[in-house]
Amino acid sequence: MSGDGRTVDLTGFLTLTKREVLRFLRRPSNTFAPPFITNVLYFSVFGVILGERVGTITGVPYILFILPGLVVLGAVSNSFENASFSIFHGRWNEYIHEVLTSPLSYAGMVGAYVLAAATRGLLVGGLIAAIGWAIVSALFRPVPVEEPVYLLAFMLVITLLFASLGVIGGLAASDFDDLTVMNQFILRPLVFFGAVFYSLEDLTPLLRDVSLLNPMVYMVNGVRYGFLGVAEVDPRLSLVVLAGMTAAAVGLDVLLFKRGYGLTD
Amino acid sequence: MTNALEVEDLRKSYRDLDALKGVSLTVPEGSFFGLLGPNGAGKTTFINVLVGLVRASGGDARVFGHDVEDDYRQARDCIGLAPQEFNVDRFFPIHEVLEHKAGYHGVPHEVAAERADRALKQVGIYDKRDTRFDWLSGGMKRRFMLARALVTDPDLLILDEPSAGVDVQLRRDLWDLVTELNEEGTTVLLTTHYIEEAERLCDEVAILDRGRVVTVASPEELMDRGTDRVVIALREPPASADALSELRPGDDRIEDVSLEEDRLVVTARQGGLVAPDLVRELDRAGHEILDMEIKRTSLEEVFVDMTRHEEGDGRPDGDGVDGDDDDEGGNDRDDDAPLETAATGDREGSR
Repeated sequence: MSGDGRTVDLTGFLTLTKREVLRFLRRPSNTFAPPFITNVLYFSVFGVILGERVGTITGVPYILFILPGLVVLGAVSNSFENASFSIFHGRWNEYIHEVLTSPLSYAGMVGAYVLAAATRGLLVGGLIAAIGWAIVSALFRPVPVEEPVYLLAFMLVITLLFASLGVIGGLAASDFDDLTVMNQFILRPLVFFGAVFYSLEDLTPLLRDVSLLNPMVYMVNGVRYGFLGVAEVDPRLSLVVLAGMTAAAVGLDVLLFKRGYGLTD
Repeated sequence: MTNALEVEDLRKSYRDLDALKGVSLTVPEGSFFGLLGPNGAGKTTFINVLVGLVRASGGDARVFGHDVEDDYRQARDCIGLAPQEFNVDRFFPIHEVLEHKAGYHGVPHEVAAERADRALKQVGIYDKRDTRFDWLSGGMKRRFMLARALVTDPDLLILDEPSAGVDVQLRRDLWDLVTELNEEGTTVLLTTHYIEEAERLCDEVAILDRGRVVTVASPEELMDRGTDRVVIALREPPASADALSELRPGDDRIEDVSLEEDRLVVTARQGGLVAPDLVRELDRAGHEILDMEIKRTSLEEVFVDMTRHEEGDGRPDGDGVDGDDDDEGGNDRDDDAPLETAATGDREGSR
């Protein structure tokens, strides 16, 4: 035996978090290269080539307008994908048993998977922001981050939220195709219709109202507020609602682990 | 003294199958306990309940006094499990896999690294420490499974078919190592298809069949329940066994007397104790004995006898509940996965 419960849980939590982070850090060609290439293409095609025709939206150049949305897209999809893949791959090959048979608490297990996946989301989000900022700075001038505290808070909340949703996805999936379906057919449409590439003001009143049902709108809006200081929806309210959703999703993760959903017979 | 394992009326039902039908067992601390049973008997289900991979439908199980559900963290911290399946993290070199496993049990990193090295040396694959599991040979993989169970310094070591599919030398190495650990105080719970293994290693064995405990006894006690064969060569064998009816005057241990190729064959329980009486009786009857051999019943024969079922009696053979097939590596799902995981770095293995 190894020690008292709290020591075991803290050390176990840190070990599992480290394991999860190392898994994606050691494979940059699979984890960081794809969003790098994809976003260079996005900024080049949408921002530079099409952006010249679009001009400005809400008073900022188009490339700057889409930057927060692309950061959100990369951050949330990587958070979700990391958690869902790691859990499902562990289930598929049964090595998640190394964790499940350990004295780590269920909250500790969930905390490690969520934190590591959110870390990947933050790193990818930062990478995309750096690409966008570099291109914007080269084309126009260096632009400061208007609301850094809000930006950090929104990025933390949305990556944690999608990491915890990814845990549910990883537990619910019965095949690798299920993960693809979740990412391509649910996550991406929500992001693309989440006012990443357009302003809500450009929509008809009906479509605008429908768009407000999409939680992604609040995330993109919040991150855009952090970057540019302009918002179409109250960022404080968005942050509170998103934080509540994150807490609920993490709570559900712990409950599912406790019940052994997708993990035990 | 605390018992390492106390299980009462443990039950597990799947949709149309009762895998455990009220198993009750006590394993004393420090003992070497064997769990024998045919495929589908419920051995792996039983073990998986203890470590939290299967949720029991009813009953209680306690590991060193800790309930496996209510005090799951304390219970799991006591256990080191070497399962039959190769369920190992493929993303990392094996020494890191061991460090992680120790870390999950609350062992600080520096100590975990030392323990990982020690465990790899114990099982003889230290020189492969930087290799990923997939690149190990079959025998090395089996050794690694034991190393992973040892790295948490468990009080209860559970070995599920540890020597399935390994060569004789490796099997003996494993036996020596596990025996040494047991002598140092580690309680060992062993499931095996190799009856010789149980006979040689275990203080006590439970025979599990179709989700029930058939019996619990020491290997010697079990063998005493079987029938031995005392084969005697006489200088002048009689024409038929009937002429030797005087050999069993009221001895209820003797079950049969026959002649096989001019040799007298006496089938009896506790043949070693019956033999001197036989010699006396034959001598008294005027027979001259040229040779005598006592063929002791084996634990395997007792096991087969206790778990024998009539054809078509509904035994859940090969139903997949137990997962304890006889092939090496057991249910190693990675072979069938659509990815060769971390080793090949393909898309699905590395997202």
